Amino acid sequence: MLIASTDPLAFNLLPFITTIVVFAVVAIALGMFVWPKILKGLDDRNAKILHEIESAEAARAAAASKQKEFEQKLAEALEQSAQMIREAKSEAVRMGDEIRAKSEADLAERARRAGEEIENARRTAIAELESHAATLAVSIAGRILKREINPGDQKRMVEESLAGMSDKSAKRN
Amino acid sequence: MSLFLANESDPIAHIVDKGVLGFKLFDQPVMLSMITLAVCAIVLYLLMSKAAKSIATGPASMGNRRFIPIGAFSALVEVVIVYLRNEMLIPVMGERLTKRYLSFLLSLFFFILALNIVGLIPFIDIQDAVYGLMGKHFDIKEHETSAIFGGAATASISVTGGLALVAFVVIQFQGFRELGVKGWLEHLCGGHELVHGSIFLWLVVPIIFIVEFFGLFVKPAALAIRLFANMVAGHTLLITLTMFGAMAIKAGLGIFAVGGITAVSGVGAILITFLEVFVAVLQAFIFMFLTAVFISLMSHEEEEGHGEHGDADESAPASGHLSQQPAH
Repeated sequence: MLIASTDPLAFNLLPFITTIVVFAVVAIALGMFVWPKILKGLDDRNAKILHEIESAEAARAAAASKQKEFEQKLAEALEQSAQMIREAKSEAVRMGDEIRAKSEADLAERARRAGEEIENARRTAIAELESHAATLAVSIAGRILKREINPGDQKRMVEESLAGMSDKSAKRN
Repeated sequence: MSLFLANESDPIAHIVDKGVLGFKLFDQPVMLSMITLAVCAIVLYLLMSKAAKSIATGPASMGNRRFIPIGAFSALVEVVIVYLRNEMLIPVMGERLTKRYLSFLLSLFFFILALNIVGLIPFIDIQDAVYGLMGKHFDIKEHETSAIFGGAATASISVTGGLALVAFVVIQFQGFRELGVKGWLEHLCGGHELVHGSIFLWLVVPIIFIVEFFGLFVKPAALAIRLFANMVAGHTLLITLTMFGAMAIKAGLGIFAVGGITAVSGVGAILITFLEVFVAVLQAFIFMFLTAVFISLMSHEEEEGHGEHGDADESAPASGHLSQQPAH
């Protein structure tokens, strides 16, 4: 239930003083214990954000410097590797030429030796063939003549046959 | 405000301050606004302490999370404080004066805001409803209420007058501290240049002195009346809207007419309530901001920087970019 005065402008001293006292108390309490905490929190956060931004900018500058240094080193490394590749290629060409020349010389030497061996083998074979043929001829001649041929005769006849074959061979060549 | 009792004849009767159950202090009735003031102060302190705990930097063990406020209320308080300090007070008062008076101005703003917001919540009606449900009946006299808390304290000229007196004391304290007695008197006479100027200028000094002297009291009185008038007007409008249904019943209208009128006036009351929330914030801001402007006018920077202070009312704030004064 509510019964009231209808004068809104009625001034009352007690609420007036109460307002001043209550506001003074709450303002002092807030000013001592609340606003400083809040304002310090805000200032701390501002300082933190500023510090983080400055740190980030410093880190970015350092990273840019490092990147520049890295790019420079990379360029040097690329130049060095290109130089090494060029040198390796040159060395490979030189070694290839050397190996090829050496191989060709070795091949020629081997061919020469093979020719000589073939020639020697051919001569040996011809000599053996002639000796065998003379022996065979003397043996056939002895059978035809039905007489004994002593070793001296045989040796002489062989030598004569060989001489004759040698003459024929010489004439054929 | 007593929405549930809006069927009574006089809407103003629901707004004006009342005694509480015949309690007395120094042979004077204890008014409802006094208890509301005290409760609001305590609640405000507790809420702000909680917000401060959340906003304050935590222990190092929390890592970077110690810098982050916890909770929506704390974030809201922080946003309001940062906005008032950085966007409103520093441009008007400068860094030095803002640092000196920030605690006072924030307390003023949040205290008035708390009183305005509490005034929008029908605590008196809630208590009456509870008493009704409990079957309690109080034998109350004229100009009394059975409620022990609630009502729009800032709709009392006694309350807004008290707040204006506090503002007046702080403004004059700043004047004496910053300008000294001689400078303060020169300020009343139009400033240093006028007082030490040509002899012909002295002809206007008495006029300026009279205007400035009355201005000393008119400025805080304007603060008090503006806040009081806005709260009374808003609550009267709200009460009047809620009375339409009861008036329709008393007039003997049909059920559809009563229902229609009640629905329309109810929707209107809801919309006006939203407007009143805005007004509650706006009026708290205006009271605080104009106090800041008046404080800044009582400084050397103002004397040297602007020179013009004779029209130091709400239409001429100290800072140029704040020339568009909110008015309600």
